[in-house]
Amino acid sequence: MVIYLKAGGELRSKLQPDVDHFTRRVETEAGKPLSDILIGIGISPAFVAFAFKDGQLKRLDYTPSEGDIITLQPPVSGG
Amino acid sequence: MLSDKEKERYSRQVLIPGWNQEKLKQANVLVVGLGGLGSASALYLAAAGIGRLHLCDGDRVELSDLNRQMLYSESSLGLLKVEEASRRIGALNPSVAIVRHNAYLDSRNAAEIIAGCQVIVDGLDSLEPRFILNQESVLRGIPYVYGAVQGWQGYAGFFHPPQTACLACLLRPGAFKPDRVPVWGVTPGAIGLIQAGEVVKWTLGQNPSLQGRLLIYDGASLSFEIISVEKDPACPVCSRA
Ligand SMILES: [Zn+2]
Repeated sequence: MVIYLKAGGELRSKLQPDVDHFTRRVETEAGKPLSDILIGIGISPAFVAFAFKDGQLKRLDYTPSEGDIITLQPPVSGG
Repeated sequence: MLSDKEKERYSRQVLIPGWNQEKLKQANVLVVGLGGLGSASALYLAAAGIGRLHLCDGDRVELSDLNRQMLYSESSLGLLKVEEASRRIGALNPSVAIVRHNAYLDSRNAAEIIAGCQVIVDGLDSLEPRFILNQESVLRGIPYVYGAVQGWQGYAGFFHPPQTACLACLLRPGAFKPDRVPVWGVTPGAIGLIQAGEVVKWTLGQNPSLQGRLLIYDGASLSFEIISVEKDPACPVCSRA
C-alpha cells in the first residue's frame, strides 16, 4: 500500500521528500504502525514528537491506511 | 476596584466586548521559566493588568539570552532572571504584584510554587520539568498553557483535564533534544504572546481557542496549523487522575 508522509520544521531534511518539497511517497505493508514505517525509511522515531492526519493528532502507534497523508512533527523543546 | 490611574491605563482594552478588567486584577498567574517564552508572556500579561504574577526561574542572565529574552538588557548580565524580570515588570506596571521564586522547578518544589495560582504558563526550555508541571496541573485541576520553540517552529496548547487532554497525551519522554536548541527572538515572541492571549481569555471566563488543541507555528513558511488533541485512554498522567 502507499501512504504519503510530510514533515514540519527541521524534520523535513530527514524525510527526503520526493513528491514535492514537503512530501514523500512511501510503499509499505498494510497493518504496520507508523513507528515501524519510519524505521523502515531510516527515520528514528526519537526524531518525531507526534504526527497528524486531517487535523487530528496521531501517535506513533497509529496504523495508517492506503492513501493516508500524514504529517510528522519534530520534538521542539526550547523556551 | 480599579483606581483612576488603572481606569486610564486600561481604557483602550476595556472597550473590547467581553473585557472585564476587575477579573484580570483578581487573577494569580504563574509563569515558569523566564526565557524567550516567559519574557513575552510575562511582559504582556503585566501590561494587560494581571493582578498577581508569580515568576519562577533559577537562572542568571547571559549575553546569549539577549537575542530573544526581552525582559533583559546588557545591564542585566550576571543578575538573577527573577529579580531582573520583577524590576522590569515593576517599571512597566507597578500595580502588578510579583511573587518571586528564584528556583528551577522540580518535583520537590512544584507544589509550593504552584500554590495559589489559577493558571500556569509554560516558559520552560526542556521536557522534563514540563512533565512535572503537567502532572501538577492535572492533579490540581489548574489549566496549563503549553509553549515550546525551536528554530522557526513553535507549539502552543491549552490543557485542562478532565475537560481536555494533557501534555502527556501529546508527548512522551525520550524524544531527541539537541545540546543547544537553536532559537531566535520572533519564535518565542510569537508563541509567548499566544500563550498570554489564552491566559487572558481564560481569566475573562471565555473559552481559550487552544483548549484541547495544539497550534503548530512555522515562521519559516509563516504557517499556523491547529490540530485536535484527543485524550489518550492510556495516558500515564490524566487517565489515572
Ligand atoms: Zn493525558
